[in-house]
Order: sequence, then C-alpha cells, then structure tokens
Amino acid sequence: MASTTTKPAPAPARAASPRGGQSLLDTKRQWWGWLFLAPFTIVFVLFLLVPLAYAFWLSLHTKGIATGGESVFTGVANYVRVFTDADFLSGMARVGKFVLVMVPVQIGLAVAIALVLDTLATRLSKASRLLVFVPYAIPAVIGALMWGFLYSPRFGPANDIFGIFGLDAPEFLSRDLIFGSLVNIVTWQWAGYYMIIVYAALRAIDPSVYEAARLDGAGNRAIAFRIKIPMIASSMVMIVVFALIGTLQFFTEPTVLRSVAQGAIPTTYTPNMYAYSMAFSYSQFNYASTIAFALGILVFIGSYVFLYATRKQSGLK
Amino acid sequence: MTTQHLARRPRQRRIGSHLFLLLAVLYFVVPLWWLVVGSTKSNSGLFVGSGGALWFNDEFALWDNVKQLFTYQGGIYWTWMRNSFVYAIVGGVGSTVLAVLAGYALAKYRFRGRNLYFSLLLGSVMVPLTALTIPTFVLLSQLGMINTMWAVILPSLLSPIGVYLVRVYAVDAIPDEMLDAGRVDGAGELRLFFRVALPLLRPAFVTVLLLTTVATWNNFFLPLAVLRDPQLLPVTVGINQWQTLSNAGAGGEQVWNLITTGALVSILPLIVAFLALQKYWQGGLSLGSIK
Amino acid sequence: MRRGLRRAVAATAAGLAGLSLAACAPGGDAGSANHTSCTNEITKPDATRVTLWAWYPAVEQIVDTFNAQHDDVQICWTNAGQGADEYGKFSTALEAGTGAPDVIQLESEILPTYTILDGLADLAPYGAGDLEDQFPAGAWSDVSSGDSVFAVPVDGGPVGMLYRADIFSEYGVAPPTTWDEFAQAAQDLRDAGYDGYITNYATNGGAFNYALFAQAGWAPFAYDPARRDQIGIDVDTPEARQVLSYWEDLIDRGLVASDDAFTSDYNTSLVDGTYAVYIAAAWGPGYLEGLSDADSGAEWKAAPLPQWDPANPVQVNQGGSALAVTSQATDPEAAATVAMELFDDEETWKIGVEDAGLFPLWNLALDAPWFTDRRYPFFGGQQVNRDVFLDAAAQYPGFTFSPFQVYAYDRQTMALYDMVEGDSTAADALATIQDSLVRYAEQQGFTVR
Repeated sequence: MASTTTKPAPAPARAASPRGGQSLLDTKRQWWGWLFLAPFTIVFVLFLLVPLAYAFWLSLHTKGIATGGESVFTGVANYVRVFTDADFLSGMARVGKFVLVMVPVQIGLAVAIALVLDTLATRLSKASRLLVFVPYAIPAVIGALMWGFLYSPRFGPANDIFGIFGLDAPEFLSRDLIFGSLVNIVTWQWAGYYMIIVYAALRAIDPSVYEAARLDGAGNRAIAFRIKIPMIASSMVMIVVFALIGTLQFFTEPTVLRSVAQGAIPTTYTPNMYAYSMAFSYSQFNYASTIAFALGILVFIGSYVFLYATRKQSGLK
Repeated sequence: MTTQHLARRPRQRRIGSHLFLLLAVLYFVVPLWWLVVGSTKSNSGLFVGSGGALWFNDEFALWDNVKQLFTYQGGIYWTWMRNSFVYAIVGGVGSTVLAVLAGYALAKYRFRGRNLYFSLLLGSVMVPLTALTIPTFVLLSQLGMINTMWAVILPSLLSPIGVYLVRVYAVDAIPDEMLDAGRVDGAGELRLFFRVALPLLRPAFVTVLLLTTVATWNNFFLPLAVLRDPQLLPVTVGINQWQTLSNAGAGGEQVWNLITTGALVSILPLIVAFLALQKYWQGGLSLGSIK
Repeated sequence: MRRGLRRAVAATAAGLAGLSLAACAPGGDAGSANHTSCTNEITKPDATRVTLWAWYPAVEQIVDTFNAQHDDVQICWTNAGQGADEYGKFSTALEAGTGAPDVIQLESEILPTYTILDGLADLAPYGAGDLEDQFPAGAWSDVSSGDSVFAVPVDGGPVGMLYRADIFSEYGVAPPTTWDEFAQAAQDLRDAGYDGYITNYATNGGAFNYALFAQAGWAPFAYDPARRDQIGIDVDTPEARQVLSYWEDLIDRGLVASDDAFTSDYNTSLVDGTYAVYIAAAWGPGYLEGLSDADSGAEWKAAPLPQWDPANPVQVNQGGSALAVTSQATDPEAAATVAMELFDDEETWKIGVEDAGLFPLWNLALDAPWFTDRRYPFFGGQQVNRDVFLDAAAQYPGFTFSPFQVYAYDRQTMALYDMVEGDSTAADALATIQDSLVRYAEQQGFTVR
C-alpha cells in the first residue's frame, strides 16, 4: 500500500548527506541506472559505435589495388569522390523517387485499410486484420523470391490474368516497369505492419468524440479526415519517419530481385547496393564505407528536416 | 430523422467497404496462395503444369517435396530451420532483455547523460546497415568469431527501437510514486525492477520480443556476410543459396520445387506464432504512437 | 542493496552461460574459422587436412576418391558458391585475414584479380612448372605468367555452336558457318515462319560477351602481373565495334533476343525452342541436360562457332575452372599437392565427363580415345569433341583479363543493357565501358597506357 509522497521522501536513515542537492540515495540510484543500462550499452558500443568509428576511419583512407595494398590517409578525398560520383548521385535520386512514391502508397494504403477496419466489426474485418499483416512475417528474401516468380513473363500468372481481358501482360522486370514492381513488393510487405499501428491508434480514440461529430451531422468520410487522422498524427509521423529511413536505405528487395533482372537492376541501383557491391564484389572497403557514411548523412538530414517540418503534428519539442 | 440517416448510410458503406477490404485481402493473400500451390508442384511442374500459375496441377507433389526437403544435401534444410530458431529465440530473448533493462533505466532513472544517450540511440536507427557490416565483419574476424553462431547472435542483440519502445511505454506505465513507495518500504532496486516494473512492462516486453524475434528470424544480410559454413546458415540465406544455384544451373542443380516448399515451411512458424499471440501484438504495436 | 548487486551479477552470469550453452550445443564450433565442417566425410582424421572450395557437384565423388587414395592428405570440401558469389566470399576473407580455404576452384579470368592482392600462392616452387606439357598452350598461358604458376587448369570452355537441328530442318535453313551466314540464317528462319529467335545475346553474359569480342581479335587488356601497377586498357576498338554493331543490328531487327542469362526464364527458353541456337562452351550440354521441360522432339547438334573470316578461324573460351592455392593455406605444400593431383587421374576424368559434363584440359584425358570418340547421347550420338571442341580447345590462344574483372563485367552489363534498351549505340556502349574502366584504374593507382 503506497503512501503518497510529495517531495524528496523522508529518506531512510542511511541517506543523510551533507551536500545540498545530491543525496547519497540519488548517487546510488544513478549507479543503478547505469547498471541496468550496462548490458545494452556494451552491445551498443561493440556493435554500433566501434564499427561506426572504424568505418569512418576507413572512409578517410584509400587503398589502391595497384599500390600494393597500403592504406593511405586521404582525408576527405573519398567524400569528394562520392558526392561527384554519377552512380552515387543517380542512386540517391532514385531512392528519392522511391520515397516520393513508395512512402505515400504504403502509408496511404495502410491508413485506408485501417480506417475501413475501424468502422466495421464483422468477421471479415477480423480476419482481414490478420491476413493483411501476414506478409510482414515473411522474410524480405522470400517475398522478393515469390514476386520474382510472379513477375516472370513465362511462369507467373500475369499472362493468364491479362489474357482474360485480351491484353498482353506488362513486362514487370523490364527497366521501365521495375520501379513500380519494386514499389509493389515493398507495399505488399509493409502496408500491413503500418496498418496495425494506425489501427491501434485509431482504436485508442474515445468514441464519444464521434458521437459529438455525428450529432453535428458529420458523415463517415468527414469524421475520418477531420477527426481521426488529425488525432493519430503523432503515430503517422512516426511511421512515416521509419518508412522514410527504410526507403532511403533500400537494399534487400532490389538485391534479391536482381537475380531475375540483372539488366534492369544494376549493382548501383541504390546507394546501399552500391556500397555493398563496392565492398563485397570489388573489395573496395574504403570507398564502400564512404558511400555508406554519405548515405547516412543524407538520411539524417532528410529525417531531421521531415521531423522539423512536422514537429507540431508529432508533438516533439 | 437521425436514425433514418444512420440506417441508410451504413448499408451502402458496408458493401463498398467490404469490397475494398476484399480486394485488399486478395492483394495480400494471392502471393501466399501462389506459394502454397507452388509447393504442391514438382520441379518441372512449376514451369509447365496443367494448372497454370495459380492452380494445382494434376499431380500433387507436396509430400514428395517435403520428403525431398528432408534428404536433399543430407537434410541441410532442417539444420537451417533449427539455426533460424536458435538465432531468432536467442537473439530475440537476448535483445528484449537488454532493451527492457535499458528502456526502464532511461525512463525511470535520472542520471547525467541520459538525454544525450537517448538522442544517440535514436540517431543510431538512421545508420545504414552497410556502414556497419564491413567493420563488424572485420571486428568479428579479429575475435575469431566469423563463421560461428555468435557472429549472428551478438550483433542481433542490438535493438535501439526496442529500447525506444520500452522507454516510451515505461514512462507512463510505471508510476514514479509506486517506485518511490517501494523504496521507502526498503525494497532494493533489483527487487523493484522484478516485482514492480516488470509486470507493468509486460505488453512492451511482449511487443519488443515479437519485433526482435521477427527481425532476427528474417535476418538476411548479416548472416550472408559473416557465415560461410552451410551448416550454420539460417533458412533465409539457405533458400537464397538454393535459388542462386538453381539460376546458375551448372550440372543440374535446379531445385525450384524445394525452394517453394522450403519457403512455405519456413514461414509457417512465424505465422503460427502470430496467430497464437494475436492479442498481445495487436494491442502492443500501438505503444510507440501513444507518446 | 549489496545482496541485490550480487544477485544482478549472478543473474547476468547465468544468462551468459545459458546463452553460450544454447549457442555451442548445436554443432557450432565456436572456435577458429578454419575448422569448418566438411560436406564430404573424412575417414582419416589424423592426416593433414586441406580445405577446398569447389562448386561442381561431381567434386564430392572426386574428393572421396582422392581421400581414399591418399593417407597423408585429406580434403575437406564445401561448396562456397560459384562465380561472383564465391569471389565475394574469398575477397572478404582475404581482407579480414582469415576464413579463406587452402585450395580454391576459380575461373582463370579472375586470377589477375587475386594475384595482384597476393591472394594466391605461386605453385612453381612446388613443381607446378613441370605440369606445363600436360595442358593445352592457351589454357596454360591463362594460369601462368613467366615462371610463376598461379593455378592448375581443371576444365575448359571451348566455345561452339549448339543448334536445334530439328528447327533448322523444319524451316529449311542450313546451319551457318560464318557470321554473315548466321545473320542470313536468322532472317531466313523468321521469313519461313519461325517465331522464336535464332539465339540470345545476353547483356549479363560476362565471359560470353568477351568470347564473342575476342573472336574478332579483341585484346582489351595488357597486363603483366610482374609489373603490377601498369595496365593497358583498349576496350573500344574497331574489332569490338564490329562485333557489337553486328549484334545490335540483329537485336534491333528482332532476330536475336536480349534476355538476361542465368534466370529460369532463360533456362526454359534454351530448351523449349525459343532459341534455335545456343552459343555455348563445352560445358553447355551438361547445363542443358539439367534443365527441365525440354521440347520432346528436340534434336541438338554441335558445330564449330561461326567465323568472321573462314580463312583465319579464331577459337575462344568461356569459363572453365582451375585450382589455386590461397595465401592463407595452413600447409601450402599439402594444398599444392591437392591442387596438382586432384584431377590428374583418368578415372577421375571419366566421372567428370560422364557425370558432370565437363571438358577436361588435361592432355591425357583430351587425347584418350574414350574422350575423343565419345558419342554424346544429348547430341543424338554425335562425337562433339572430335567435331567441335577438341579443335577449339587446342587452338585457343589464351586471353588476358584485367585485375578488376568483376568490376569490368558489371560495367559491361550496364553499358550493354543501355544499348539493347535503345538508349545508346554500340559505339557509345564501348566508349562508356572504356571510360569507366580507365577512370577506375586510375583511381586504383594504375598507370594506364
């Protein structure tokens, strides 16, 4: 049974401290704080900070194939090279395009489905909630593999389906359409995940708010757009940021799909793929680290700008 | 007047909404359906079959495929599945434990550097994987851990998002007063954690556990980079390897039927887990949005 | 409080112990990277163990034979992938300083890429130089440089033209012997009603495209491992333009397909009559045989590759493999023994030829009657070696590859794809490749001539 305490509780005898401010209790509690934090911190340092520092160190050096494998300090030369590298810049432009298309599509679909589910309570809607979410449980590799088959001009169902309407199936794996094909794969995989988050946020809204709106004569659509969406704005901002970061770092789906579309998806398709092939195909670890860092910087700037622009909606200070 | 209003609208909306929902569900389910159907076909049946791409062939080869999964390359598929389980469970549980401890600390303990730590944490989400993989690879090589299970498990213990979720949840879910009251009664910090905080954190715990387990199960890039031995691969990398082999085709290694069947079997555990734990995650994924 | 701290430490220790038990139990040898588990079974555990990466499935049988015959050396084999997959793993292992096998199977095209990194051991000190007469001159020149020997040739890929005799006879077209005749045959087939393509020109063919260029006398790289910081890059030459424009023209006219190679779509097109000709190396038939859904009435025959100038035929090679000893070999001498002796046995080659469809580069097998006169069921009993491949292998002059071959292939794929998509011409494509390779070489510290 808890006794309500107001200010610094009358501390047990042990804790008397001569100094003003920091009591012995606080210090001990500080230590406990750090102790709880310790296991995670160890892993964080070992597997994030240390590799990051090493990658940064790598990016400041160059090792030419022809120069006998000696690492030479080159300062920012690699960064200059990256930001004037046509492959890197076109890759960035491409993921930028993906952001402008893929993020709204995924989230738009997720929100639409969530809104519909919020207004229905039938068995279909319950089953739908689960079925729409299932693709998230599928590894991206397997998802891309499946879609690779589905897109195949010969073995996929596209010919059959389009044949019904008397049309030729589009070549999903051609360079013109590969963009849309990839958008489709990612949307299929992630819309359900975002949908659940939005749905849960919608469910948390007090229904009495709707009652009031309905009494004023508002229809379902008005309620959806003018009440529901603004009330879940902070969730929306959060998932948009995650989608943004994930899309700028686009890697897995294009890499897996590449096995059936080597022409349409070159190794430089996205900056992350470019970094990967630099490292693991050409052994250019220094330049690869530079690309990864450059990408990271741009991702950081992008997220920061977005969060700043939406600071009111997200409730961040 | 109002009731008439309400009575008329819902029926129209219902049909429209239901149709939309049906289409959406179809969209999400058709590839899975293809996978199920594909698993029942033999290798050549996948390409030239009586059923076309989306329906069953005359011959039903599912059991043959599963049997072949057991025997191909000495049953390595089941080794891969076991590996995936080990990585996912150890990685999932491990990272959740770490995340819960850390999130609790960040939420309920005031100490110097706390805000800086938290910002650093959030920033780490933005680091591209490729920036980390290369040095992680070198680091693990120096430690002699390349090509061991540790090479996959240790980096998987890192879940900054998990820490974020726990912290956000803990700030509201665990009243400071309860903790202080406990301290007044003479309870130690550890007991406070186990007796007071942990029960209150259960939804967050389960959510993070699910998220990290899924993430580790689906992990592809990390095992691909740090593992060489086929006996250590998780099922994602293993199936991808089969696909590469089948595409290259040298010497008759086409095993498309195993790829589809293997893919289907590999996604079953997660789907079953999701079905069984529905009530936890459907509520839990809202955590991050509350704040 | 102190009890709490102790409990915390105990819990952490227990947790870590539990984790390590869980991780160690299922066969993960948490120790050094060199104790990989082998795909094959080793019966003599005390002998020196040599790790081998090789991708042919038939290798398992061959390794078992070797292990049975040798008491002092045992091979531990795993399949680490083929081509770019395997090379990626090898490159990272070299970079990390650990994790490479003792012996590695690779294509001779990639040797300069690794010799410049000092990733491969020179086999000359182990007597490899004495093996020179056991292999055709071209094959030997691909694996050696001056007195150094970097790999031992295993199998080769002399290029020929495999064609569907049934399709050609159905439409009344004679199989071509020159490239002019080939273009004409393509048109004739189309005019006679054939709705497939005479063949496929894959933009991601890599060595395939190289072989076709080389046949016109293309020698893009001048590189000597002894002078490793100098390279000559001459990709954009009149010969290359001649070859590429030829194919560009056929593709534009819709007579030749430009599908990506090594996909399931492509594999099926090879055998179901979509392509009438498969310009292939000697390992091609083995590849075809493994594919399913072949046309039931298919009649495959082999013929020599069409020539630009019938008076001066040029033979080319695509692929094949060799065994090299890596710089991380724990016992280089044992590893060299494996590399030199794994395939120097006629029984082994019988397995290689009959089970894996390989084309040996070992003269004793090349000259053996059972090989020269072999009737291949796939070709309806034709003696394809005698008819096509033996000549091609014998007259193959060798080829010089670059020390950054993976990069070169990737740039080629990108440029060729742009060309077939209509975004550039053959001349542009070659100029682009030349440009990017020169720039890359300069960035890597080469002096480019």
